[in-house]
Amino acid sequence: MTTSRLKSYDPSLAVHDLVQDLKWDPDLREAFARDEAGVLDRYPLQGAERLAIEKRDFKALYDMGMHPYLGGQLSRLIWGNDAGGGAILAVNNLVASLTGKRQGE
Amino acid sequence: MGEIVFAAGIPHLPAMVGLYDRAPPDVQAIVHNSFEALHAEIKAARPDVIIVFANDHLANSRIRGYPDFLIGMADEHRGPHEWFKPWIGCRDYAIKGDRNVAATLFRGMIRRGIRLFAEPGALKFDDNISVPVTMGNLDSLGIPLVPVLQNCIVPPIPEQQRCYEVGQALADIIEIDLAPDMRVALIGSGGLSHEPGGSRYYVIDEAFDRWFLDLAASGDHDRVLKELTFERMEASGSGGTVELFSWVVIMGATGPCKGRSFGYAIHRDFRCGFGAVIWDLEPQTAQPREQVPA
Repeated sequence: MTTSRLKSYDPSLAVHDLVQDLKWDPDLREAFARDEAGVLDRYPLQGAERLAIEKRDFKALYDMGMHPYLGGQLSRLIWGNDAGGGAILAVNNLVASLTGKRQGE
Repeated sequence: MGEIVFAAGIPHLPAMVGLYDRAPPDVQAIVHNSFEALHAEIKAARPDVIIVFANDHLANSRIRGYPDFLIGMADEHRGPHEWFKPWIGCRDYAIKGDRNVAATLFRGMIRRGIRLFAEPGALKFDDNISVPVTMGNLDSLGIPLVPVLQNCIVPPIPEQQRCYEVGQALADIIEIDLAPDMRVALIGSGGLSHEPGGSRYYVIDEAFDRWFLDLAASGDHDRVLKELTFERMEASGSGGTVELFSWVVIMGATGPCKGRSFGYAIHRDFRCGFGAVIWDLEPQTAQPREQVPA
């Protein structure tokens, strides 16, 4: 039986607010693309949480309790959000981070 | 007394829109035929309002204060929300809302002991409402739509028994609280197996999907309530498959009745299985449902 990741998430993590705000605010997205560190400074991220974002380490984020649905959205905020291009790259990079394998391996 | 005149469950996978042109013809045909049937049968049923239950996908509320059900009360609904446009790849749309029906639904649920929140302004719609509206061209029908966005992914989640009870309350509201002779179409939007954001993003559980479609069309709601568990859906794709609870709400509203599917399509790039069910509401197939105390 697969263990549900949903039951181990930690709703108190600040990364959830980061993703929600980036989704809802085009100006913040532009700032994130221009100065990611400056945007991360605005959120009370734990040290390991911030480091995992910076390293694109989704496995570490999920292990500390990030909700996977917002993890998928964070990957699109980082790598791209269009159906036929960036969103596919985002999925591939996210899966690679979680499994340690690139697509096709 | 109001009446349910149409009921269906249909997936809203976004890649099915943006990557539709790249899909094999047999997959395109099943998607096309299913949405064409949705459109045609709703039109033929002549509803006064369409009520859609769908996963909110964390699109409207913070995770720390997350409603289990959120009804959209606006006079008009527009979508998709700007960040989701390139991801879905669908056209913009505007569809009439129905503030009176939404208010009746809100009031009726609260009075029946079901906590439901309501948003008088604009909701942010992603694939949940945008895909059925645009793929089914529901905005061309001139029929108001009332969205009810549902918590399918933030624990603790209202599971199958609770969703069924919400559906029973919905039927009770339609029958007792809505204006006499009001005709209502119901859609459960979501599924089939998928794992958005997970390590099995590309995995589609075909065996589960075919089992579920057969179960949904069987009208055997005892089995639905016993077998369509959170754990079983999580095993078929964590954080995605569970939005089939929106179908369970509609099943609770119709009571046991048989349904028709328009085929099953599996395509890796969609990252989700596809198949729809339209339920036949003839009285001879439906069994009496228990009344929910007002």
